[in-house]
Amino acid sequence: MKNFDYLEPKTVAEACALLKQYAGEARPYAGGAYLSIVMKQGLYQPKALLNIKKIGELKGIRFDSNDGLVIGALTTHRELETSKLAREKFPILREVEREVANIRVRNVGTIGGNLASGEPLTDLAQVFISLDAQVGISGPSGSRTLPVEKLFLDFYQTSLADDEILTQVSIPSLPARSGIEYIRFSSSSVVDKPCVGVCVRVSLGADKKSCEIVRITLGCVASTPLRAHRAEKLLAGKTFSPELVEQAAAAAAEECSPLSDLRGSEKFKRGIVRVLVRRAAVVAYDRALGG
Amino acid sequence: MKKQIHLRVNGMERSLEVEARTTLLDAVREQLGLTAAKLGCDIQVCGACTLLLDGKPISACSFLAVDADGCEILTTEGLSAGDRLHPLQEAFMDLGALQCGYCTSGFLLTAKALLDENPNPSEEEIRDYLVGNFCRCGCYQEIMEAVKKAAGL
Repeated sequence: MKNFDYLEPKTVAEACALLKQYAGEARPYAGGAYLSIVMKQGLYQPKALLNIKKIGELKGIRFDSNDGLVIGALTTHRELETSKLAREKFPILREVEREVANIRVRNVGTIGGNLASGEPLTDLAQVFISLDAQVGISGPSGSRTLPVEKLFLDFYQTSLADDEILTQVSIPSLPARSGIEYIRFSSSSVVDKPCVGVCVRVSLGADKKSCEIVRITLGCVASTPLRAHRAEKLLAGKTFSPELVEQAAAAAAEECSPLSDLRGSEKFKRGIVRVLVRRAAVVAYDRALGG
Repeated sequence: MKKQIHLRVNGMERSLEVEARTTLLDAVREQLGLTAAKLGCDIQVCGACTLLLDGKPISACSFLAVDADGCEILTTEGLSAGDRLHPLQEAFMDLGALQCGYCTSGFLLTAKALLDENPNPSEEEIRDYLVGNFCRCGCYQEIMEAVKKAAGL
């Protein structure tokens, strides 16, 4: 690893000013779960790292009726996994976090870092997108919010500017009669990055039959997490049925663009997408009926 | 440019001079001579480099030493109380939970963190917690038995 300047800004404003000063040659550092690896491999050689770990305004998980569940960017995977508040509001988050990497990575890796890395082989983004979550972003000229879906541009590329910091994720409360399921498939060890990860959310209409809102988010099968819009349209507004789910699953398998790699061939991954969409949709629907 | 950091390692105050890029594993092994933790995969997958940072398992190969400034570190050298081995160490010996020993330090510390957090874990909870530590000799069965023994299961 090449050496670099190591700075510890005390506030978000100070961190953004430093990022601006380094003009793209510096990066915020929190857990280092991602950065340490790409730096050791020589893939990324910044002039400076800004350790933002001590910035209080980026910490904590809270809930309020306007913003929903607000997860500070510095929240670690393990903190989200074990948070009573998160578990009460969105039990799916704990289920997903339990399977993220291993205990060591969960102890250091942060939610903000996970999203800001733009790593396509990941789990949380699919869940956040299916929940219509937003990210908070701060820069030298102020703050903005963005749907999580719009954060990702390409492999390891996000819409964060060089001098911006991802500050939080906020998840609005789900409408009544909603259910969500995430299924991750690993093709080698269970602690490997996912081969495919699929999240389906269904919110039913007052008749408890029609799918009012459907979100199908596919992970690891494109350069970014991907909404399967055609599959969603097949289900939206319709009465849930196994035949329709099968059609939607087949559509989802076609509208992604997986790469053949050590975790499976393109064809294999499309097959997995199809199976996971079908399974996740059925569970999400059952949960929606119960909610 | 070097930075001075202060750590509490196995109960003792230590101060070190490290470069920003120095990993915690290198600092502990090369500057403090505590070599129980090993470099394995170097990408946070195998667990051979596990140390406890403020009681929590981390991959020291991928953690900057400067970032540990002010923290408490436990290495396997700090597990025993004087001449008395930790119950986990005793159980690993009794049940032959190792062959080459390369992964053992990581398993011991991870299991210690588990038992500190959850003194009465189920078999499934042990498995879930230790799933990220690899033993290439394949002593998993004995390791499970040893952790269960130390936990009084």
